[in-house]
Order: sequence, then structure tokens, then C-alpha cells
Amino acid sequence: MIRLENIQRRYVSDDVETTALADINLEVAAGEFVAIMGPSGCGKSTLLNTLGTVDRPTAGRYLFGDRDLVALNEAELARFRAMTLGFVFQSFNLIDELTIAENVELGLIYRQDSGGDRKARVAAAMDRVGVSHRARHFPHQLSGGQQQRAAIARAIVGEPKLILADEPTGNLDTENGQQVMDILTSLNAEGATIIMVTHSPSHADIARRRINMLDGRIVASLARAI
Amino acid sequence: MNRFAFLTLYRSLTRHRLYAALNIGGLAIGIAVFLVLGLYVRFETSYETWLPRHNQVYLVQTVWNMPDSPFNGAYPNTMGGLLEEMQADFPGLSGTRINNVGATVLRGGIGTAEDLAWVDSQFFDLFDLTMLQGDGARALAAPSNVLIDANIAHKYFGTTDPVGQTLTLNIGAGTAPYRVAGVFAPLPRNTDLKFTMLTRIPKGAPQGNEDWWYRWGSTSVNTYLRFPDPAAAKAFAARMPAFVVRHGTADLGANADKTMQLTLLPLADHHLTPAGREMASVRQTIVTLGIVGVLTLLIAIVNYVNLATARAGLRAREVAMRKVLGASRGTLVRQFAGEAILTTALAALLALALAELGLPLVNAAAGLTLSIPYALVVPALVVLAIVVGMGAGLYPAVLLSRFPAAAVLASARSPGGGRTGARLREMLVVFQFTLATAFIIGTFVLVAQTRHLRQADLGFARDGLIVIKSGAGLSEGQQSTMRDAIGGLPMIRSVAMADTAAGGFGNNNANNIEIPGRPGEGPSLREIVVGRNFFTTYGARVVAGRLFDDRHGTDDSNGTKGTENRAIVINRTAVPMLGFRSAQDAVGKTVGKGRPRTIIGVVDDMRFFSPHVPMDATYYTYWSRYLGAPVITVRYAGPMDAAMDAVRATWRKIAPEVPFDAAPADQDLAKLFAADDHAANLFTIGSVLAVLIGCVGLWGLASFNTSRRVKEIGIRKALGASSRDIVRLLVGQFLRPVLMANVIAWPLAWVAMRHWLAGFSDRIALSPLYFVAATLLALGIAVVTVLAQSLRASRATPAWALHHE
Repeated sequence: MIRLENIQRRYVSDDVETTALADINLEVAAGEFVAIMGPSGCGKSTLLNTLGTVDRPTAGRYLFGDRDLVALNEAELARFRAMTLGFVFQSFNLIDELTIAENVELGLIYRQDSGGDRKARVAAAMDRVGVSHRARHFPHQLSGGQQQRAAIARAIVGEPKLILADEPTGNLDTENGQQVMDILTSLNAEGATIIMVTHSPSHADIARRRINMLDGRIVASLARAI
Repeated sequence: MNRFAFLTLYRSLTRHRLYAALNIGGLAIGIAVFLVLGLYVRFETSYETWLPRHNQVYLVQTVWNMPDSPFNGAYPNTMGGLLEEMQADFPGLSGTRINNVGATVLRGGIGTAEDLAWVDSQFFDLFDLTMLQGDGARALAAPSNVLIDANIAHKYFGTTDPVGQTLTLNIGAGTAPYRVAGVFAPLPRNTDLKFTMLTRIPKGAPQGNEDWWYRWGSTSVNTYLRFPDPAAAKAFAARMPAFVVRHGTADLGANADKTMQLTLLPLADHHLTPAGREMASVRQTIVTLGIVGVLTLLIAIVNYVNLATARAGLRAREVAMRKVLGASRGTLVRQFAGEAILTTALAALLALALAELGLPLVNAAAGLTLSIPYALVVPALVVLAIVVGMGAGLYPAVLLSRFPAAAVLASARSPGGGRTGARLREMLVVFQFTLATAFIIGTFVLVAQTRHLRQADLGFARDGLIVIKSGAGLSEGQQSTMRDAIGGLPMIRSVAMADTAAGGFGNNNANNIEIPGRPGEGPSLREIVVGRNFFTTYGARVVAGRLFDDRHGTDDSNGTKGTENRAIVINRTAVPMLGFRSAQDAVGKTVGKGRPRTIIGVVDDMRFFSPHVPMDATYYTYWSRYLGAPVITVRYAGPMDAAMDAVRATWRKIAPEVPFDAAPADQDLAKLFAADDHAANLFTIGSVLAVLIGCVGLWGLASFNTSRRVKEIGIRKALGASSRDIVRLLVGQFLRPVLMANVIAWPLAWVAMRHWLAGFSDRIALSPLYFVAATLLALGIAVVTVLAQSLRASRATPAWALHHE
């Protein structure tokens, strides 16, 4: 489903050039659960952002199915994200001024889904992660675990082909972290493709494939025996 | 904007109440100032535009161009018989004269003065007044008809139908009954036309005016002409020089068309066109206040942009998340621009309320009767909300939508628009404070100048004087009886008659006085004809020589011919004009060849006229007996009311049929600079609010910057900085743009105020003190504005600050 060919990402600031990604080649098949690991600054998040099209590679090809995403313009990429991707972040990134239900619904609005359809999807997504009772609350009224589950509901409400999770358990205690991992695992079991950045070896073990990165390169790609 | 965008805005405003209050409040004040000053400008520029055919009507101006004359310039008056001579030369010319002769309405032997104007029968072709009763044009066909406005109708006839009733009017010399033939709606406030009654102007020269009605060079009526289009008016104006030569050469001499020109002024331009040497103060005031309104709005918009971009940083995460969820840049720009428009609309609504609440105060301060025309203002505010919203919201919108989502989401810190953003915000603060400081300087200078006018030495004691303007109606016998009777009242110190008085009432006469031994006609000097006790009543200061004295028989001009020698007193300004080195040097000298005048004394300049008009070189002649149309000045002691009552009672006893029209001189003089006072008040209100908005902006910016720097402050403190160091750092950072603003504001204000002061003949010096004081004030305001927050930030414990995100 996904193919990265010779992807490079360089940042140039004043006199310093930093290479965040160097010659990344990666293939991810539909239905896979991939964990990306590596020390801080190795390029994990850059890789995830590139996969999520919120960061553009400096060079290389990014094929999603048979589309080359590098060739798309801003508006086409925005449409692509709305239709295809779901994001989960370490710091949840819920919008403070919107209720949980509204946060979950927001992505559907950008897809211009019809109103009745949206309501049903939002209800289902919140139900799926167990935050329905918090629908009318604002993010700051929820615990960290609840906020992250709401963020997952937002990520899955549009039934995306790909879910990108950037240290989704990083800000959570063990119990809440486990709950989030359980949700991701079951989503994957139902067929969702998931790519997750994590520092936790145990959470990485849940994924079917683990990619290790160092200094902007993939140094190992290990498939877990099932 | 989708529903969620509205919700986000609503919740963001209610959650961040202080921010909302600063942002919307500042913008509302800016819009309110703009609105009120806009209404003022609209009022002042709307004079006569209420007339249906105003753009076809032109006022004939007499333009004088004589060597050294104090009266050079364009005047709105013409010779009485000009229209008749024009219509004889240009058949079919449509026009009317308006001669504000005034009338005394006589009822039961008591006279009441009313504003009556003589007009021609074609008057209604040009001035299509709204008739409430009767046919105006037809009414003017008969010379014994009078048209009155609704107020006069109510005053004299109450609820009775006025049409067909009779009013006994004394117009000029004769008393006669007039039949009320119609009632017109009272004139609106935005007009320079001053009449409440109209009758037809007599054919030929009116009685008593025979000498000068057809004399070229006299100016006694307003003449209006109507042309179908500007081209026709232009073509007509081009034929004027030949017309002047044809008819005026006999009176004006050779080169009549050089000495005097006739020009056409569109009716609607009349109000803002200064007469003669008057400085263009009305127009200047309007332009100034219009600029103040626009700049205040601009300051408020800058405020909005500043606060919105500063806050943009705090919304970066929201923006990034929206992008991740699939919002395009266009969607985001639309959302934020929409927010700006909505916010502006809220501010506009609040501004309307503020303007409605503030208008009575503004009206009182500026002598206005403005009201808000909602039918016009509401659509204008909608447009303003969209334009200002787009203007103010576009930059923050573009800035916000440009935040790179990945970087924002990866970073713990919120971007604040980077170094460019910070620099831009600092530049905006510089801009705001430049205007604010310039406004403060302007306010100081304006207030000082208007104070100066109120307290300036006029060359005479302005307190304790009553000026009676209706002396022209007195007969020769009544004049002397009145003078003696009023002079005999216990609280009256002295009484004087003259053809001119403080406040600018009376005649304007000027004569050329040849200087012996020099070629040419000599300079033109104002002549003031005075009776007994004139100088002592005013308390004039003698500079050299002596004043008129009955013991010197030659002082009295009564019985002398113009070609005989007369004694004159001149003012200080006339001394160099007549070629003398000093006042002493002038005394005893005789000037004027064919009409010799011997200078017996020099007095200090006495300023009777508007402070916008230069002081005239003046000479005084003394007439012990009858003066043609005297203005009477009375000096009293004790309370004004008692003196006024006693004088009025005496007047009613001696001349009940002549209206008593009198006022304290200081009141009349105050009217000469009332417009300046009012303008100064409006300017001050505008400036104070502009400075306030600037402060709101600075406060908001300081608040955001300080909160963004909490962690930095923690680090600095952990490294050993004291609270004082932190305060100095933060306050110093905000003083830099304020100081820069002052550097720019000084030359701006200097140029503007020098220009404004040039409009006054009697003016203060542009002292550097005003500038220094304004700078200190601006700095003081800035320090107070940011100090509280800096103090709070400086007191935070480093441990807390270091964990602050």
C-alpha cells in the first residue's frame, strides 16, 4: 500500500544543514502494524510526518497505492489527509474550544460528509473507544487517558486507510497506555493499517513489524513471528 | 465558515475574556471615534446639499485685489444692483439676491427683531424650500407678501392659520403691513442661509440705499445664479472681466477688471470657503478631525492585528491539528478572516452603542447637534466590519495558516510568528505610539492656543463691557438721549458709540492714505469712526501722543469735508505701514495728500475681530455728534445681569420700537473662537481615546510576550538575575518602540502644528516643552501599562517558571 523510495529530508537553517531522513526505503502492506523505534532525534517523527504528508520530503518518491504524493499540491494533500489518514499524537492535540464530540466530528466536516452520516459515525467512534459519556465535555475536563482515547476516536471516525500514531502512550500511565494499545491492536485486527512511533519496547512488541532508526536511516526491520 | 468555526470563536472569546475585551473594546472605541468624527465631517460638508438643485446654484464672489488693502480676497457679497445689471446684459439669466436686512415685527408698540431676507421673485427657482402652506414662488410676485417659517408662524399666530394674516414689519426705513402668504419648513442646521422670513426685494435701490446700491465696489447682498451645468457656469464666468470693465470702470477706474473680479462659487462649497483674509480654519478643522478619526481607527486596527498575531502563536497547535485533519490553507484563511469579520462586527455593534452613549457628551463639548442616522450608519458599519475585518484579519489569517503543521506538532513551544513576527509587532507598536504621541503633542498645542486666545491681551479690557448692536435703529435725537440716559445709570462707568465694536460688529471701511514724498495711492487702512469716550470706555492704552479731546476743537470731524484736514489716532500696526520709525515719530505728522489727516496719537492694537484675521493697520476719526449706524459699547461695574437689566429698561423707555440686541463683549468675543474651542475639544477627545487604544494594544502585547517568556525568565533567574533585572529587561524592551515612536512623532507633529498655528494671526510659539512633555507622558503611560505584568513575571519562582509551557 505504501512505498517510500529514497526519501530524504534536510532542514537548512542559517548555516547549519541537518539531515533528518537519509535515503529511506520502506514498504508497508495493507493491514500491517508497524512500530518505529530509535533514540531521540533519529528521525522517527519526521518519518511519520512525511508519511502523514504534513512534512514534504526534500527528495524521493512517496507512493500511496499507485499515487505519487510528492506530486500533489497543498490542497490535494489536505484532501488526501481528510479522506485517507488518521493521526494520534503523544500530546493528544484536541482543540480546547471544541467538545469531545465536536473534536471527533471536525475531520468529517473537512471531508464535507453529510450531517446525518457524521452524527452516526461520531457516535460509533466514541462508543468504540469508550468516551461516549464524555461527548459534551471539553478536553480539559477529561483525564489524559480519556483525551487520548478521544483522539483515537477522532483518528478512526473517517475509517482511514492508514492510522499514524506518534508515541500515543508517551503521556499516559501504564494502565491508560495499555488501554490505548488494546484499542490499536483491535483496530489492526479489524484490518486497519497502523504505523506507530514509540519508545516502549513492550508496545513495539505488539506490532507485527519493528523498524529501528538511527541518524535518519532505517538500520533494522524486524518482523515478529506470529 | 462552518458551524464549528463559529463555536470555536464564541468559546475562544468567552474563555479568554480579557483578550476579547481588549481586542473588541479597543476596536469598538476606534470605530466609535471614527463614527462620531465621520458624522461631524459629514455634517460640515453637507451644507446646502439638502437643496434639491444645489449643484446648479452658484454664489457670485467679489474678489478684491488692491495694493496693500486690508480687505483683499474673495467675499461672498456683491453690489446690491449687480443681478439687475447682469440680467440686462445676459437675458434669461436665472438668479436671485438674498439680502439679510432683518426686520422688526411691531406688536403693541414693542419691536421684536427677526431674520428677514429680501429676495428676488426667482428665489424659488434656485432655493426650492419646502413649503408647508401656500405657493412660495407665487407669493413672491406681490411685494406686500411675506413668507414665514413654521417657528415664526407658531411664535406670532400660535395654532391659528397664519396664511392671510397680517404682520406689521419695519424693514430698513419704512413700516408697513405685510400679508402672510405662505409657511416654509424651518431651514435645517446644515445651512449658512440665515432667515426665518422672506419678502420680495424692492425694484431699484431700496430707500436709504440709493447712494451705493448701484455703486461698483460696494458689497451688500448675496447674489446667486443658476446654470444648467458646470460648463455653462464656466462659460459665464469667462465673460465676467469684460462685464466688469463695461459697467464698473466708472466707479472702479481704469483696470476695473484687475481691481475687482467676479467669480462663481458652487453653493455647496460656500460653507468651507473662507471670506477675505480669513484663514481656511473651518476646512482645516474638518480635515484635521477627519484625519484624527481615520488614524484612530487605524490605531485600533493595528491593535487588532497586533493582538491577533501575538495570540496566533497560542493557536498554532489548533491550526496544525486542523491541517492534519484535512483543512486546506484556503479553509483556514477563510475561517480566520471570518473570525476577524465577526469580531469586527461585534466591535462595530459595541461602537454603535458607545457612539450613542457618547454623542450627548461630544455634542456638548463641540457645540453640535449630531445624531446617528441609523439607515445610513448600519449599512456603513456592515461594510466597515467586512473591510476592517478583512484588513485586520488577513495577516493573522495568512500567518496562522502558514504554520508548518509538522514542526508545530513536534515542538513543545508554540511559534509566535518567529523573529519576523516579533519585529512586525514592534513596528506596529512604533506606528501606534507615533500617532499617539503626535496626538498628545497636538492636544497640548491646541489647548495652549485656545487658552491663549481666551486670555490673550486684546489691547483692551474685555470684561465689564456690554455691546449693543441695534443702535442703527435709533434716530439722531434718540442717540444722544440714550447715551446720556445710560451713562447716568449708577453702575455704568461710560458709554461710547462707534461704527465698529468688539466682536467684529459694525462697518468695514478702508481708505488709502498717501504717504507724503512717496509715489502711489499709499497703503489702505481700516477706518473706525468713533464718538465721545470711545477709547476710555474700551480702556485703550496710549502709546504716544494723546486721545481725542473736546477741548481741542480740531479733533472733531463733525462739519468737516473729506478734503479738509482731520485729526486721527492710529494704532501701533499702522505706524510702520505709514512709514514711521516709531510711534513718537508719527505724532504730529500729517499724511494723505488730497485728504490730509494729522496724527495726534497712537494707541495699542485693539483686536475686535476673529483671531484668524491679521491685525489691521487702523486709523480712528472722531465725530462728536450723530453717527450713521452706531454700535454702542457700555462699560459697567458690578454684576453683569444688573447692568444689562438697567440698560435694557432704559432702552425700552427711550426707543421701545427698536429691538434691544445686546450681549456682554466677552461673550461676543468668545463666539469668534468658539469653533476653535470646539475643534480643540473634539481633537482632545479623539486623542485621549487614541492614546487609550494604543495603551490597550501595548498592554495586550506585553501580556502575551511576558507569558511567552516565563520559561526564559525562569532560566535567567536560575542563573542569578534579580527581580529588578527582569523588570528592567521587560520594561526596557517595551520602551524601545515607544522611544522610537517619539523620534518619528516629533517632526510629524512639528510640521502639522506649525501648519495649524499658521491659521491664527495671534498665536503661541511652538515651544519644545510641548514635545518633551508629550514624550514624558507617552513613556509614563507605557511604563505604567507594562509595569504590573513585568513585576508579576519577575516574581515567579524559577522552579515553576522552568516547568511552564
